[in-house]
Amino acid sequence: MSRQADLPPGTLDLMILKAVSLGHVHGYGVLLRIEAISGGAILVQQGALYPALYRLEHQGLLSSEWGTSENNRRAKYYQLTPLGRRQFGEHKASWRRLTDAVALSLAATPQEV
Amino acid sequence: MPRPDGFEGLRARIQSLIRGLRRRDDVESEIREEFEHHIAMRAEHLQRQGLGAGEATRQARIEFGHQDSHREDARQSRGLRLFDQARFSWLDVKLGLRMLVRHPLLSLAAIFALAIGIPVGIAPAHVAAALEAPLPGDPQHRIRAIRNWDPLAANVHATRYEEFEFYARELKSFSALAAFRTSSYSVASDDGRAAPVAGTEISADGFSILRTPPLLGRTLAPSDGDYGAPEVAVLGYDFWRSRFGADPDIVGRAIRVGRTVRTVVGVMPDGFRFPSNEQLWLPLTSEATGSVGSQTSVRIVGRLADEVSAEQAQAELTAIGLPPLAVPTEGRLRLRPEVVSFGLLYMGLPRGGLDTMVEYRLVQMMMLAILLVACGNVAMLVFARTVTRFREMVIRTALGASRSRIVTQVFVETLVLAVVAAGAGVLAIDWLIRHVNIAAFVSEAALPYWLSLGVTGTAMVQAVLLAAVCATMAGVVPAIRITGRAARASVRSEPMARFGGLTSALVVGDIAVAVAAVGLSVAMVGQATHFRENDEAAGIAAAEFLAAEFRLPDDGLMTAAGPDQARFAERLATTQRELVAALSAEPGVTGVAIADALPRMDQRARPFEVEGAERTANGHTRWVSTIRIDVGFLAGLGRSVVSGRDLTAADVEGNRPVVMVNTPFAEREFPGENPLGRRIAFPTPDDGDAPVWHEIVGVVPHLGISMINPQRGAAVYLPAQQGAINPMQVAIHAGTAPDRLVARLPALVRSVDPSLVMGAPVLLSELRQGDWYQVMGIAGGLAVLVGVLVTLAASGLYAMLSLAVSERTREIGIRSALGAPARSLVMIILRRALIQISLGALLGLPFAARFVFELGEGPDGGASPALSVVWAAGLAGLVVLAVSLISFLVPTRQVLAIGASEAMRAEG
Repeated sequence: MSRQADLPPGTLDLMILKAVSLGHVHGYGVLLRIEAISGGAILVQQGALYPALYRLEHQGLLSSEWGTSENNRRAKYYQLTPLGRRQFGEHKASWRRLTDAVALSLAATPQEV
Repeated sequence: MPRPDGFEGLRARIQSLIRGLRRRDDVESEIREEFEHHIAMRAEHLQRQGLGAGEATRQARIEFGHQDSHREDARQSRGLRLFDQARFSWLDVKLGLRMLVRHPLLSLAAIFALAIGIPVGIAPAHVAAALEAPLPGDPQHRIRAIRNWDPLAANVHATRYEEFEFYARELKSFSALAAFRTSSYSVASDDGRAAPVAGTEISADGFSILRTPPLLGRTLAPSDGDYGAPEVAVLGYDFWRSRFGADPDIVGRAIRVGRTVRTVVGVMPDGFRFPSNEQLWLPLTSEATGSVGSQTSVRIVGRLADEVSAEQAQAELTAIGLPPLAVPTEGRLRLRPEVVSFGLLYMGLPRGGLDTMVEYRLVQMMMLAILLVACGNVAMLVFARTVTRFREMVIRTALGASRSRIVTQVFVETLVLAVVAAGAGVLAIDWLIRHVNIAAFVSEAALPYWLSLGVTGTAMVQAVLLAAVCATMAGVVPAIRITGRAARASVRSEPMARFGGLTSALVVGDIAVAVAAVGLSVAMVGQATHFRENDEAAGIAAAEFLAAEFRLPDDGLMTAAGPDQARFAERLATTQRELVAALSAEPGVTGVAIADALPRMDQRARPFEVEGAERTANGHTRWVSTIRIDVGFLAGLGRSVVSGRDLTAADVEGNRPVVMVNTPFAEREFPGENPLGRRIAFPTPDDGDAPVWHEIVGVVPHLGISMINPQRGAAVYLPAQQGAINPMQVAIHAGTAPDRLVARLPALVRSVDPSLVMGAPVLLSELRQGDWYQVMGIAGGLAVLVGVLVTLAASGLYAMLSLAVSERTREIGIRSALGAPARSLVMIILRRALIQISLGALLGLPFAARFVFELGEGPDGGASPALSVVWAAGLAGLVVLAVSLISFLVPTRQVLAIGASEAMRAEG
C-alpha cells in the first residue's frame, strides 16, 4: 500500500478548515499546509482545492481578503469566520468519535464478539 | 461535510450569491488571478527542486489542470451555475422570433390571446393611475382640490363660497386657493351671432395656481375680480379658432357674454380646457363685488405650499374641521373635508381612488382571471409548438445540454411571443383610444382634458412584466414537462411527448365557454335590439316622438345671487311656455313633454328614504332614479297614471311637496301595499333638523327607465316649476311622420328665442341610454372572447392533430395500403378531437340555452325553452363548425395524402 492516503468523501473540507485554522493562508499555502501536517500522507488534487475553498467561503465558514504573498504577488488569503470556527469544532469532535469507533471496531478480536 | 444551517449560513450564502451575480466580472477576474498565483507559486516550488523556469511553469500548469473546468466548478460551488444556465443570449431571442414565423397559426392564436389578455390585465391599474394623475403642467403634483365627502351617501357634497373664503383665510398648507364654477354662456361677437359655450368663472388666484401660460395676451389677474374692474374674458384655443377664425388680433376685442360686454384679454393654448372641457374663463367675483353669494356652490382647487405634502395639508384640514357656516345644518356635521387629487374631485371618487372600491377590486380580479385563462391556453399552444421539436431536444439532451438550458430557451421563446403580443395589444389599445370617442360611452362629448388614457411608459413596463409572468406560466411548465420526457427518451426509447388530460380539459373548457359566451352575447344583442325597436317597451310609441334638448345659456345666472337669478328663471319660464305653445301649434303635434330626462335617457340617481321604514342596518343609502318633470309630462307622452293622480300646477306652487312614483318603485318599496299617501325624502346634508318629506300622490307606469330589465327601473317623478329645468329635454309627439318636423324646428326655435340652443333632434326610439352601451359593450367583449377561445381551441387541436399525423404516418400508410377506406383513416386521427369538441359543445349548451331563454325575448316575449335550446344548439353548431374547419382541414389533407412510400420513410 502506498504511503499516501486517499481522502474519504467530505474529508477535504475538514482538512481545509484545519489548515486555515492554523493561521490565515492563501490557496497554494493550504495545499502545502495539508501536505505538511499530514506528514505527506495527504496530497490534495490541485483542481479540487479551489471549488472546496469557494464552497466553504460561500457557506460563510471562510472569509477572504487580498494581500501580498511571499513571492510579492497579489494573493487571496483565507481565514476562519466565527461560524467556520464553530462548525470546525463540531466536525472535529464528530470525526474523532467516528475514527475512534472505526479504530475500536478494527481492533476487535473474536473473543470480544 | 454538511452545509451549515441557520440564519448565519443562509445570510452568507445569499450575500455570496448576490455578489457573484452583481459583480460577475470581478469574481471571474479574482478566480483567474488566484489560479495564476497558485501556478506561479507551484512553478517556483518546482524551480527550487531543480527544474528550469519554463519547464517548471509548464509542469505547474499541467498539474493544476484545466482552468476553465476548475472555474466552472468554482462557480458551481458559489451556487451560480443555475444562473449561468438560465442566462439567455440574443440567439435565443432570434430562435424565438424564428419560431413565431415557423408556426404562424399557433403564434397568431397565442399572440391574439395575450394581446387581449395582457392589456386587459393592466387596464384597471392604468385607469386608476390616470384618474389620480396630476393636471397637465403640474409634474410635481402640487395642485390639489378640497372637497366635502359625504360618507353616508358615498359622494361629494357641494362646497360653498363661504367655505372657500374660510379655507383661503385659515389654511397655511396651500400657497394659494381658488374657487371656480362652470356654466354655459351665450357669447356673441361683433356680427351679433350668439353661440353657447361652456365656461368657468374662477377666482383671483386660479391662473396662478394652474400656471399655464397663455397663447396670446394674458390670463386672468387678481385685479380682474375687483369691484369696478373692467369686464374681461379669456378664450380657449378651440373656441378662438372656431368662433373667431383664430384672429391674431383678438386680444382687446369686445365680445358679449350674456348681457355683459367683455374685453378679450387672452387666449389659452391648445389642450387647456380647465376644469374639464371649458373654453371661456371669466373672473369669479365675490359677494361684495358681484356674482356669487356665500351659499353659492363652488369647487375649490389649490397649490400646496413649498415643502408641504398632501398628507400634511390633509392633517391641517382635519385639524381645522368644517368651517362655521352662516346657515349650519345637522346633516353637514357628517361631512369630511378632504384634500384630494383633482381627478378624484371631478369624478366624485372616494379618497384613495378606485383602489378603495370593492367594485374595482372585483373588476381587477375578473380581468386577471381572463389573463390567467389566456396564459393557460397559450401554455397549451407552447406545448404543442415545443412537441414538434421533441426529437431535437432528445438529441440535445443526449449531447449533454442541461434541462435548465433547454427550459430557459423555451422560456425565452415564449417571452418573445408574449412581448410581441403585449406590444401589439398595447399599441392596438393606444390606437383605439386615439381614434374612438371613449367619452361617448359615458354620454359625454369629450373626456376631461386632464384625463389621459394613452399608453404611458409605466403601462409599457407593466405590460412587459406581465408578459414575463405569462411567459413563465405558459413557457416554463410545458418546457419542464417535455424536457423531462426528452431526458428519459435519450436514455431509453420512449415515445414522443403527448397531449395530456390538462390539454384536453383546456380544449373542452374553451369550447364550452365559447358556446356559452356566444349564447349570452347573441341573447344580449337580441335583447338590446328588441328593446330599442319595440316602441311599446316603455309603454310609449317611441317611434312617433322626436326628442331634442333645449338649453338657454344661463351665463352663470342660474346659481347667481340676488335678483339676477330670479330674472333668468322668469326668462326661462317664458321661453319654455312659448316653446311649448309653438311646438303644439305645429300640424300633427299632439303632445309635448318636458323633463330633465326623457324615457330611455340616463336619469339622475339620488339617495332616498321612506317615512316609517328603518334605514338599512349597515348605514348604506338606497338610491333611486329621479326625474324632474313639467306639469303635463305624462299627458305629453300619451300616458296616464295607473293609480292616484297626475301632478298639477298647484303641486308646483303649493307648499306641500308631492311626487309620483313608477310601478317598479311601488312594487319594490311597498309590496302588497298602497303607496298613495306614503312619504319619501331625499336627504342631503343641507337639510335642516328633518328631511323634506314628499307625499306620493300618483303611480305611473314604467316609462323606459331601465334598458336591461324594465322590472328593475324604479323611479320617482318630481314636479318642477317652469323655468327650473335647464337644459330641457323635450319629447314632441309628432305622429307617424316625426321626421317632417325636424326641418322646421330650427326656425321655430329662433322665433321663440334666438339664444335658445337646440341639440340634434332624434327619434325617441333611437335614443340609447348608458345601459344600451353597456349591453353592447359586454356583448362585443363576449364576441371577442368567443373569437379568442375558438382560435385557441382550434390552434390547440390543430397542433394535436398534426402531431398525431406525424406520429402515426406509418400506421396510416399501412392501413391505406391494406385498403382501409379514407373515412376510417381520417377518423383514426380526428376521433379524439371530435370527442373533445362535442363534449365542450355539450357542456356549454345548457348555459347558452339558459341565456337565450332569460334574455332572448324579454320576460314576456314568449321565448319557449324548446326554442331557446334550438337557438343555443344552432350557436353551438356554429362554434363547432368554426373550430373544426380551422383545426381539421390541414391534418385531414395530410392523412389523405399518406401513401405507402410516406409510411416507409416514416419507418426510417
